[in-house]
Amino acid sequence: MLSNYIQVSLEHYLILSAIIFTIGMMGVLMRKNILVMLMGIELMLNGVNLSFVAFSYYTGNLNGQIMVFFVMTVAAAEAGVGLALAVTIFKKFKTINIQFFEKLKG
Amino acid sequence: MDMTTILFYILAIAIVVFSLGVVMTANPIFSALFLALTMVTLAFVYFLLNAPFIAGVQLIVYAGAVVVLFVMVMMLFDLKQEKEAFTKGKFTGFLKIASAGWLCGLIAGAIYMSTEMVVSGNQILDVNKASTKILAKELFSNYVFAFEALGILLLLIAVGAVSISRIKGGTHAK
Repeated sequence: MLSNYIQVSLEHYLILSAIIFTIGMMGVLMRKNILVMLMGIELMLNGVNLSFVAFSYYTGNLNGQIMVFFVMTVAAAEAGVGLALAVTIFKKFKTINIQFFEKLKG
Repeated sequence: MDMTTILFYILAIAIVVFSLGVVMTANPIFSALFLALTMVTLAFVYFLLNAPFIAGVQLIVYAGAVVVLFVMVMMLFDLKQEKEAFTKGKFTGFLKIASAGWLCGLIAGAIYMSTEMVVSGNQILDVNKASTKILAKELFSNYVFAFEALGILLLLIAVGAVSISRIKGGTHAK
């Protein structure tokens, strides 16, 4: 009975990916530092990637892995733009608190 | 209990601990360190799932490029003092944690009820079907348009990141 639940299946990977996604979301919601918020977004994207790869493995379909490749590239691009914005905020306000985002115009 | 199961549980616990470390540590440098550890551990999980190419890309792009980018930008900042790492307010903090936990439970319930519909029978991806060669053939035949669009996106991002970080004036200039 118990060994049925212990045996790793698709559900285990999906729940692990849900946990990673939720932890990343907590990071985005609860931190003030822009860098750590961007790290939380990266964690969320990684959780989604894990579920893609798990589905690809358990359904015998390669398309999930290709989608993961695209998601990784877009995540790297997003990190680049986010860090550029963080640099801009730091240059103007000498801190990287998220509350200065709204004052960043023009 | 076979080898894969034991390995999965060890890696899963490590991933959860490291990603909690990303969120919980007050020092951003330690957050970046925990992020790199999370990425490396996830790459091992991808090896377990017969995706060696994705695991390699994960190691190179995430654990290599993205985390190094974070640390490089952190070097530019003066991060000696950080008094308020977390957002203020006990009640809103409780609400945030509760909503995150609720979301996780919701996803878990949805997974528990719906995976029977998605996965039917034993059609696990074997290593010969998931080699890098086959992945590359797929990428450059069926997905070639998306691949080229991704190249244009990266070019745009490179130009945009430079131009954003060079902003000087504006309506709120000091």
